[in-house]
Amino acid sequence: METSYETIIIGGGVVGSSIAYHLSERNKEGIVVLDKKFPLSGTSGSTQAWVWVHNKTPSWYAEFSMYSAELYPYLSKKIGDVEYKRTGGLSPFFSELDREKAERLAEAYEPIGIKIKVLSREEALEKEPSLNPDIVGATYSSIDGNVNPFRLVDRYMRAAKKNGVQYSTYNKVTEIQKLPGKFIVRAEKGRFECKNLVLAGGTWSRELGKLVEVTIPINQLRGQILVTEPLKPFLNYTISGLRQAFNGEVLIGYSMEEEGFNRATTLDVIQETANMAIHYVPSLRKAKVVRAFSGIRAMPEDGFPILGKIPGVENLYVAAMHSGVTLSPLVGTLMTELILDGETSIPIDRYSISRFA
Amino acid sequence: MDKSTIICRCEEISLEEIVEVIANGARTFDDIKRLTRCGMGPCQSKICNCLVAGVIHEQTGMEFHQIPLPRMRMPISPIKLETLATNSTTFSSVKSVLDEVELEDGKVK
Repeated sequence: METSYETIIIGGGVVGSSIAYHLSERNKEGIVVLDKKFPLSGTSGSTQAWVWVHNKTPSWYAEFSMYSAELYPYLSKKIGDVEYKRTGGLSPFFSELDREKAERLAEAYEPIGIKIKVLSREEALEKEPSLNPDIVGATYSSIDGNVNPFRLVDRYMRAAKKNGVQYSTYNKVTEIQKLPGKFIVRAEKGRFECKNLVLAGGTWSRELGKLVEVTIPINQLRGQILVTEPLKPFLNYTISGLRQAFNGEVLIGYSMEEEGFNRATTLDVIQETANMAIHYVPSLRKAKVVRAFSGIRAMPEDGFPILGKIPGVENLYVAAMHSGVTLSPLVGTLMTELILDGETSIPIDRYSISRFA
Repeated sequence: MDKSTIICRCEEISLEEIVEVIANGARTFDDIKRLTRCGMGPCQSKICNCLVAGVIHEQTGMEFHQIPLPRMRMPISPIKLETLATNSTTFSSVKSVLDEVELEDGKVK
């Protein structure tokens, strides 16, 4: 096996695989992705995979998310069907206090091109008749949608491999050494050398950072999700909290717990999630749950992506974030520009790891 | 078994599809599941799991005791949401996205 590469990407989830794919569009050779297990075994394979923009805050982060969502139709043309649907996103609310928030949000986001409609109760129910008639209103934006995360990562991987990228899976990195002009990466299945090293370890970024003596301030957040049996198509939109997939199953959940890497599902959160489902869409009461699952999300200390060069170490890059599904098309594009051209078409200075210094 | 033999009855996944993803690097039941949907249906892999272990063994030479079992999750058999629900509308771990929008001096933070 070849062991000397132009670029090594550590982490083959949605972020690492998107970087590998976008890089391989321009640079056909010398790219390897190392994954400690197998792509989709972590966060990227345990998500509802909303492509979500309209109520991300602050506005510059929503804008960044919007640019990524805009890339999805083009990406699907290039890598194949990832079951991306721009359904539009609805966030129902049950109090007048939330309407105030919603109005301010709509005002603030209009200048940056994110159109948010604050719907009355009647308008929301007309759009999505299955919503609870007790809602007070909802925010709506046509930019939001969802994607099949399994298809997405699989397609990134297949397209990258077709362009010559190698994947070395079940191959945990144990040691990284920086020498002039190159990195030596030791992993369970051997020793690799490269010029450029990209850390895309998601939830494991902090551990990965330690190998190069860099603090990557990423913590873990657990989310638990319920999956129903396939139901006839009845939800028109991606609702913040639940969405219906192509095959009819409904994915439900928006929980956050600080539980480290513990991927258990717990009855209390499962019950709360069932309550949320019925609170939003009462007819789900009779739907059967076939599975509960949980995923560990990466959560940067300040909530925002950590992207770009790592100052002080030549040719070392990091890409770690929450919302990797929404951001992956843009992050793959920008990291490719940064690695190959030294600059990006959209500024990413705001996302530099140096902000934590 | 020939290549069109259905391994997962719930999701109608054939032997051929499973062999293909193993050739792409999948090594465990759960890897195969995420790439093909094998085992994601109502029976949650109770029927296909031994068949898939057999395919992994044949294709990779891994011994049966080395092949990890699929991760079983609640519920053991499908259960109605209303059975799980407690009808409470106060939430703690479950959030609403508008909870994350904060106002300061009448403006979005």
